[in-house]
Amino acid sequence: MMDIALPAMVLFLIINLVAGMLRVYRGPTLADRMLAALLFSTTTVAALLILAEWMALPSLRNVALLIVMLASILSLAFVGLPARENGEADEP
Amino acid sequence: MIGLILDALIVISLVGLALQAINAASLFRAILHFVVLGLAMSLAWARLDAPDLAMAEAAIGAGVTGALMMIAYRRLVELKPEGEPARTTQRSKLALPIAVASGLLVGMIGLAASLTEHRPGLAGLAVLETMDATGLGNPITGVLLIFRGFDTLLEITVLLAALLGAQAVTQRPDPDPSLTTQDPTTPLVGALLAIVVPLTVLVSVHLLKAGSSDTGGAFQAGAVLAASGVLLILTGRVEASDRPVVLLNLGLVAGLVSFILLGLAPLLQGGTLLALPGIGAIYFLESAMTLSIALTLVLLFAGATGLKRGRHG
Amino acid sequence: MSLNDGIALALLLAGCAFYLAGTIGLLRFPDVYCRLHALAKADNTGLLLICAGLAVLGQNWQTTTILALVWLVGLLASTVSAHLIARHAHRGGQKPSETKSRHP
Repeated sequence: MMDIALPAMVLFLIINLVAGMLRVYRGPTLADRMLAALLFSTTTVAALLILAEWMALPSLRNVALLIVMLASILSLAFVGLPARENGEADEP
Repeated sequence: MIGLILDALIVISLVGLALQAINAASLFRAILHFVVLGLAMSLAWARLDAPDLAMAEAAIGAGVTGALMMIAYRRLVELKPEGEPARTTQRSKLALPIAVASGLLVGMIGLAASLTEHRPGLAGLAVLETMDATGLGNPITGVLLIFRGFDTLLEITVLLAALLGAQAVTQRPDPDPSLTTQDPTTPLVGALLAIVVPLTVLVSVHLLKAGSSDTGGAFQAGAVLAASGVLLILTGRVEASDRPVVLLNLGLVAGLVSFILLGLAPLLQGGTLLALPGIGAIYFLESAMTLSIALTLVLLFAGATGLKRGRHG
Repeated sequence: MSLNDGIALALLLAGCAFYLAGTIGLLRFPDVYCRLHALAKADNTGLLLICAGLAVLGQNWQTTTILALVWLVGLLASTVSAHLIARHAHRGGQKPSETKSRHP
């Protein structure tokens, strides 16, 4: 039972991610696009935790811990960008 | 069956993300795709039963390269404040044929490997047979330090050479304001640092110790430690400086120097070069390499020759 | 299927539902503040439920401790990230969406 349910959930989470990537295209602002990256890191963590259980590889839990620990670094680097007026037109 | 579908989806996402990372309409999107590609890559390594690589990918991808690219993007924006930094590279006409040819090559190697009967090579068998004698449980650490010690020694040397090269060509103002985030004094950032930095150090030491028997090792531990250094630089607790610091420089060469000394030591007793004397020497060497790797990555990130206490420190 | 597996499955499915809700919010909500709101809250609840489900499945204290740690650190990281990104958007002069709520 769990042998099918667990990978099915990982599959579901990854499809979720691919859908979330749409936000990177639509924008419209840099912050909106950043959100998709945020979604990706929390979802990857969940997927890794489930994989750790399914594949019986406990070290994957440490990988998940690493990702959540370091997730805020990208946001910190992002907010260093100068905030622009009128919705940050970042299209070329 | 479901595992196969899962793997196929991961592979398709990887290819899609990689294409987007080089083809996205704007540089910012390209950066985001690259970061996300790193995370997807760690899922792929996880599926390939390679937690060591998943861990290295997560630490380097999430901790260092994403921030590095964001900082580079910021500098481009500051150089040209009126709009999005344009792509300056033109794609060569040869790009597509080369991509297709290398794709085919890799595909054929993969096909050949999956069709031939799987038999562990002689070297692999020899490693596994002698693993017990080394006192190490993790064959990866064993290969890195005992069976292929020379490779690892050269890798550490290359890392140091890369740093020296970067230091020779970069000239940043001292202190460099574009490394620090906009409001580093927000209370939440302080709370984050107070929890995450000690935790990173703890995890790094754990990975270093676990490396002898389980997933981990000097490279992973060093990358995690480096990530906490990047965190401190981004929040203005530590600043890049153009004045070298003696202690820092000692840390930078600690890995290489101890590798050379420990590698030469057996010669005095008539042994072979790089035959590391015992498990204690391996632990010592791994610790020194962790320190050197972490400091090198942090200094590469800062593009500086030294570090000092920051304005918000 | 044992009772344990049933509880774990229910928790995991609930977690996936929250992830789905977060993604729908990210795609459908009108402005960056609303999207942030959807994402940060829903995904962390999802992570909590998934960690809880896996802890029920794993049934040993090492696993449970790491799962709890992952959730707590994830909560901290996403709080700080959401805060920083919202401030950045606000400083850039982005106005919250003016769409009127249908339930005043």
